[in-house]
Parts: sequence; C-alpha cells; structure tokens
Amino acid sequence: MARVYVSTVVNARNDRVWARVRDFNGLPNWHPAIAESRIEGGEPSDKIGCVRDFRLRNGDRIREKLLGLSDYDMFCTYSILESPMGVENYVATLRLTPVTDGDQTFMEWTAEFDCAPEREAELVGNIGGGVFQGGFDALKRVFGG
Amino acid sequence: MPHIVKSTILDASTDAVWTVLRDFNGHDRWHPVVATSSIERAQSSDKIGCIRRFKLNDGSELREQLLALSDLEQSFSYCLLDTPMPMFNYVAHVRLLPVTDGDRTFWHWESRFTTRPEDRDRITHMVAEDIYQAGFEAIRRHLKEAA
Repeated sequence: MARVYVSTVVNARNDRVWARVRDFNGLPNWHPAIAESRIEGGEPSDKIGCVRDFRLRNGDRIREKLLGLSDYDMFCTYSILESPMGVENYVATLRLTPVTDGDQTFMEWTAEFDCAPEREAELVGNIGGGVFQGGFDALKRVFGG
Repeated sequence: MPHIVKSTILDASTDAVWTVLRDFNGHDRWHPVVATSSIERAQSSDKIGCIRRFKLNDGSELREQLLALSDLEQSFSYCLLDTPMPMFNYVAHVRLLPVTDGDRTFWHWESRFTTRPEDRDRITHMVAEDIYQAGFEAIRRHLKEAA
C-alpha cells in the first residue's frame, strides 16, 4: 500500500484555517487545481457519506465520499469513488493541529492507496508534491507561512 | 482534570530533535530547571518502566516512570511517581511530527493530572510555562549550539 505524508505550517490560528477548508464542497474556493465542485443529491456538504463530484482545471473528474469530519479535532477523511488516477482503496485525511507557540497551524495531509507497483512513485509524487502541497502553498499565500 | 497542551515548530529535522529528546535520562543536559538526572537501579534509559530521579535547581526531587517509547512514532509517555507538589495522576505525552514543507519539526507536549482546586491554576501555569515552554526554548538553544 502506497502512503503519502505532506505537512506544513500556516501563519494563522487553526479556527481561521479550518473555516477555509472544512467545506467538503469548497475546494474551488481555496485549491488552485480545482475548477468546480458539487455535492450529489443536493445533500449538505457536512453530512457524513455525502459525495462530491468535482472537476480539475486539467479536465479530470473525481468523485469522493466524505467518511469523517470533526470540528472538534479539525480533520476531514474521505475516499475516492471514481477517478482517472488508477488508484484503489484510496483514503485521505486532512488534519489541523494548533501550534500554541505563536498562533500558527500545523497541517497534515495523508493518503493511503493501492496501485500498480510501477506507478507508485509517480502517483505519490503527484498527489503529495502536486495536489496536497499545491493546496498548502495556496493557503500559505492567503494566511502566510 | 487539567489538560495541558503546548506545541511549537523547530527549525531542525525530527531526527535531530529526537536524538536529544529520546534519552529519558538527558533532561539535565538541556532543561533549565533540572540540575541532575539519574535512572534508578542503573537501568538503561530506553527500558520501558525505568524510573528517572530528577533533582531540580530549587533542590526538590521528583521521580518519573517511562511508560512508552517509540522510535518509529518518535514519541514517549511518562508519569509522575513522587513530587513535592500536590499533583496526582500526572501522565504526559511527547510527540514529534515532521513538517515536510521545509524539513522542520512539530513538537507536541501534553499532559493531564489532578490536583486540589486551589492549586489548579498555579500548577497548570507552572507546568505549561516553566516546564514545557521553557523546554521548547531550551531545545532551540541546545540545537543551535550543537550546530
């Protein structure tokens, strides 16, 4: 099973960062790679089990299911239902933890998935260095970091 | 039950920080309030269950027991056995996580304990500031001097 771990520090309190990222339908509002998103069946985006159907700027479409969301622990866990990426059993978690020493936020984004062995390095690089770090970089531009 | 959580970011890799922190008998080399430290019964300081005996700069003594230590997770847990202060059921956890964006370290230090209501605020503040926050600053200096 392939594993991705990317983390960063953002110069804002965790409640401000969480307000920006907690909306499961809100990726286009903060992630530069995402063009549009909708929740299937008109469900609220914080209903566990809801499915987001979103389109990347490169045209790819991905459907993901919300598995867990906690305003208390500030994390969001989701799985991929459909994507052109060639991954199976993909589960990812975005987690925020306060840095008490200076009102910053420690952000971790992790994923685990199965894929063809020869594609693992490329996928880990694209997901971690591309998608996840790309989201972090966008947040750092907004909040500093 | 007071719950103390303190965390900081260090400009060093988790491996560099862990090398210093994993020694359960090493606080006297970097923490400003600890004068001397020794492990009872000459046990190894990474043996689960070992007990460290601190003498603090103010002359008081305390004993703490190692409950868990993981080189994989870069974490350890310990509890207080004896202290001159009215603190009971004190269990603390230290955990390092890598900040991959810049090869830094997120250091998380938390604990819970019970005490008398009238001592609660004073002891909570003392542990959070004089032990944890002062420990953060001391490790920052220690790593800078070692570099």
